[in-house]
Amino acid sequence: MGYKAVIIGGSAGSFQVVTRILNSLSKEFPLPVLLCLHRLKHVRSGFVEALSLKSTIPVVEPYDKESLKPGRAYLAPANYHMYVELSNRIALSTEDTVNHSRPSIDLSFITAANAYREKLIGIILSGANKDGALGLNKVHENGGITIVQDPNECEVKTMTQSALQLTKVDFVYSTDQIINYLKKLR
Amino acid sequence: MTELRIVDIREITRIIRSLYNYDFSNYALTSFKQRLERLIILYNIGSGEGLVRKLEEDPAFFDLFLYEIAVPSTEMFRDPSLWRWLREDYFPSHLEKSIGRFKIWLPACVSGSELYSLAILLNEMGLSDKVQITATSISDKCIDVIKRGTYDLKKLEVSQENYKRCNGSKELSAYYKLEKDSIIRNVSLIQNIEFRKLNINFDNSPKNVKLILFRNNIIYFNPTQQEKVLQMLHGSLAASGHLVLGIRETISGINTNREFEFINETESVYQKKF
Repeated sequence: MGYKAVIIGGSAGSFQVVTRILNSLSKEFPLPVLLCLHRLKHVRSGFVEALSLKSTIPVVEPYDKESLKPGRAYLAPANYHMYVELSNRIALSTEDTVNHSRPSIDLSFITAANAYREKLIGIILSGANKDGALGLNKVHENGGITIVQDPNECEVKTMTQSALQLTKVDFVYSTDQIINYLKKLR
Repeated sequence: MTELRIVDIREITRIIRSLYNYDFSNYALTSFKQRLERLIILYNIGSGEGLVRKLEEDPAFFDLFLYEIAVPSTEMFRDPSLWRWLREDYFPSHLEKSIGRFKIWLPACVSGSELYSLAILLNEMGLSDKVQITATSISDKCIDVIKRGTYDLKKLEVSQENYKRCNGSKELSAYYKLEKDSIIRNVSLIQNIEFRKLNINFDNSPKNVKLILFRNNIIYFNPTQQEKVLQMLHGSLAASGHLVLGIRETISGINTNREFEFINETESVYQKKF
């Protein structure tokens, strides 16, 4: 397969979906999983703990310049943008918000797409704004796999619909299908 | 504009080194690229080559370049729990009893968020007269903006919420007045602060400093530059002086780490070993 990372973006209505995905992966999941989810700026703790509860792989809020390792999920910390450096490390940033968001899904996806090119799998989930659409398009342009959660299944459709408008994605999947797809990665 | 390629960034870095003797080659590539692209759009420069030409032809532009490359703090009183800790724990135990002027240094001021937050805190604690604060910045324009007190209106709401969360004794509005599309902060807060331009090599940095506030700056460096800067900061600190970094910044991977004790892991506060 040769993929190097999975990146997931979501906002309103995505928490349950991310939880289900993290609960279903094998302990030996062969790739790092980057999670860029909109969250409150001033609430630093609680989120990573909630995601960790049932996750089969460790979920961490990375430190700046942390190296990415397979079988771990990296949650963008509150009030930071989370980038991927070409050196396969996380880089954090406090630059201005994009689409009123910090972390910005677009910036995480764009930098990951630049670092991993065609070896990246990008997934956009339920959410209430258009953040992520540009980023997913960049993944597509660089030859990576693009997946969007089926808007009919989403609690809030705006984010997935914006992504679908901009990009001819590879798959529109239900949560179950996303899980099955990820489970097949070896 | 088209995206900058690595060769474009190298060329920009090269020209800056040769003309202005500033070395950006150890800045973290992703954010540096983003800052450059933002600047090219903002000043309608068009491309990487355009930026190189501008830097060659217009020396006065270089200060603006530095101003735009520097990333301002997100808002005032970012991470209220740090400011609460400074107010309730750190300053009472370290500053109130200190003999002589207590030196504080903010090495990389951009918009003055950290500086004004600190000045407000010390003012409310009645400790302004006990400190000697040095604020340094890579750009004259940053210093100018801070001295005039102008601040981005967009950042006001979160700043106000933060101020409440760190138990401010007034309303934040006691410290600024509203203008059309910005706010003007009360500049009397910073009247005793020494401002200085400092190049990115930190030449002639202050010495015998008791407290350095340097949050969310080393994220813009690669590990090589982080090491260099940390050594410099270490040299500026007085024995047992303190360094505050951003909460997701770490020095655990670099050698200078051995010279510091991690005294508050939640708020990322280090102490220089005696």
